[in-house]
Amino acid sequence: MIHRRLEVFLEKRRRTLIGVGPMSLNCVDAAIELASEHDIPMLLIASRRQIDSDEFGGGYVNNWTTAQFAQYVIDRDKKGKVLLARDHGGPWQNTQEIKNNLSLRRAMESAKVSYQADLEAGFQILHIDPSVDIHSHPDVDEILDRVFELYEYCWSEASKRGQEVIFEIGTEEQNGSTNTQEELVYTLNAMQRFCKQNRLPPPSFVVIQTGTRVMEMRNVGSFDSPIRVADELPAEIQLPRMMEICRRYRVFMKEHNTDYLSDESLQWHPRFGIHAANVAPEFGVAESQALVGVLREHGLGGLADGFLQLALDSRKWEKWMLPETKATDEDRAIIAGHYVFGLDRCREIKEEAALRLRTHNIDLEQHLKERVKRSILRYLCHFRLARTA
Amino acid sequence: MNKVAAIVLNRNLPEVTDRLCAHLKTHDGDVTDVFVVEAGSDDDRLSQHTTWHADWPEARAHGLRYSRGMNFGLSQLWRDGRFQDYRAFFLLTNDTELSDQPTVRPLLKVFEDHLRMGILSPCSKRWGERLLLQTESIKYFWFIHNNAYLIRREFVEAIMDVEEPGFMHFLFDGTNFRGFGNESEVIAKAYVNDWAAAITTSVWAEENEAYLLDRAELIKTEGYQKNLKLYVEEGRRWMRRKYGFNSRWAIQQYVKAFYDHFFELHPEYSRFRI
Repeated sequence: MIHRRLEVFLEKRRRTLIGVGPMSLNCVDAAIELASEHDIPMLLIASRRQIDSDEFGGGYVNNWTTAQFAQYVIDRDKKGKVLLARDHGGPWQNTQEIKNNLSLRRAMESAKVSYQADLEAGFQILHIDPSVDIHSHPDVDEILDRVFELYEYCWSEASKRGQEVIFEIGTEEQNGSTNTQEELVYTLNAMQRFCKQNRLPPPSFVVIQTGTRVMEMRNVGSFDSPIRVADELPAEIQLPRMMEICRRYRVFMKEHNTDYLSDESLQWHPRFGIHAANVAPEFGVAESQALVGVLREHGLGGLADGFLQLALDSRKWEKWMLPETKATDEDRAIIAGHYVFGLDRCREIKEEAALRLRTHNIDLEQHLKERVKRSILRYLCHFRLARTA
Repeated sequence: MNKVAAIVLNRNLPEVTDRLCAHLKTHDGDVTDVFVVEAGSDDDRLSQHTTWHADWPEARAHGLRYSRGMNFGLSQLWRDGRFQDYRAFFLLTNDTELSDQPTVRPLLKVFEDHLRMGILSPCSKRWGERLLLQTESIKYFWFIHNNAYLIRREFVEAIMDVEEPGFMHFLFDGTNFRGFGNESEVIAKAYVNDWAAAITTSVWAEENEAYLLDRAELIKTEGYQKNLKLYVEEGRRWMRRKYGFNSRWAIQQYVKAFYDHFFELHPEYSRFRI
């Protein structure tokens, strides 16, 4: 039913679904409200670092466990428009599994525990992504074996509960199994065979590398680049080829790392027939910028500096930096801002800010949520999801 | 008659140009005549191999860039009555770096094997396209962005402007000065006229951007970033003015439609389809 519901939605009118990363409490609220206001299915795509089960100590987003996050969303999503989705589930996709140097079998067991919690909480879309391996470089067949194991596990667990779940496979990461056209065809063929043999539903989504890549606060991939990106297939060539393959296999094509693409590129997503696109860090950055902006505008520069220092010290910006970065400390802090929203110190800063902004008739959290909504709305308009589009 | 005219575009980099000309003469001299277009170069910065010098004030001030430069060279051959002497034209900028081996002969061999091929581009080791050329060394594309193309004479004849054969319109649209999108237009014209455009790994060619990055002042052009900005802005304006296209994706879709149609008419080339 979930797959069919999405299919009908996409057949009615050419549009692109959006997967919103739950970067913060405000971001989650913004997504729920927009889904309801525009009567559209909205995917909330939680990575394991953002939201994970109690066993893993929850995630950095609002310190939520999977169950708490799901409960929060389900309670507020009055129209049932939000689809809870696990993004990049799989072994070593949680920091603890890496820190504890888990072996393959232990990491697979651990991933299953996490998926189990997802199902218990009511997640409806599971992304099976075992492309990370901290001990070796598995080839496509090894990755596929792991996909099969997790896929079958999740399906049988969901079936036991009489619960419906749909799947997403593939990854945009270089070590994935759907990067090149040959890999994509090979993977989809193998999946088709596996699902048929085991009487499992085929995956609903496959992640395709379309030439999107987020670094710092921009998209540095070939999709938005009018000139060549070294060693990358121009998006002009890659995209139509991948789309043809997805159409042939009747699977929804999902783009990851869509953040910061230009309006022009976003407008072409529905035209190309890209079924769904994930956006995450851009919304976190939008909120951090809004926070710093509103504080400075109202003479609360000290609080802004406190937030920025906290974010900078977290060093969570490191993985987003370009090799020859020209990012300032403030840029780095803004990039890492959403990682620290859940810290006590940040909560204190925000509480004090909220108190002082109230004298200016500003509801801080409402203000931040509106800014995130505006950021998400850009995608809704260009993806032909917003009513105004 | 079995020869290729290589037209090399120079602007104030005689050593670089001469090196490329020497390479072509050494490795491909038996099948290639080399011509050099001076795109408004200073009189003391001319190549030893200069054939034609675009020396009018505007060319001296701004150069010709690829489209006008190649139009100029081709139209000069046309005016000189030498156009028909060549089977194909190898159009390359002076910053093209070729492998230490024959280039033109292997490209001609590809033309011999692919009779409907109008445009052929050597691949670069830095292009992602090489990933599509692992089992076959030749594939037909709807998008090729390069500064080195072998172009078959019959294809040029099918689309060239014979009413005003000059540097503005002979093959490429010179009104789009820096040329963003021009190659797509020419590829569309190829497929719509039943000619294909391909990339091959039978030879490799690299563009050495260091000249543009480090010697922009000598070439009398804008710095790399400014040039890039102007290249895209002008190209987008041109697409909109000429076609009503507001996006590079529109022109890509336009070309691809003709590409797909080509294979309906020529299923025999299906194995070269990407």
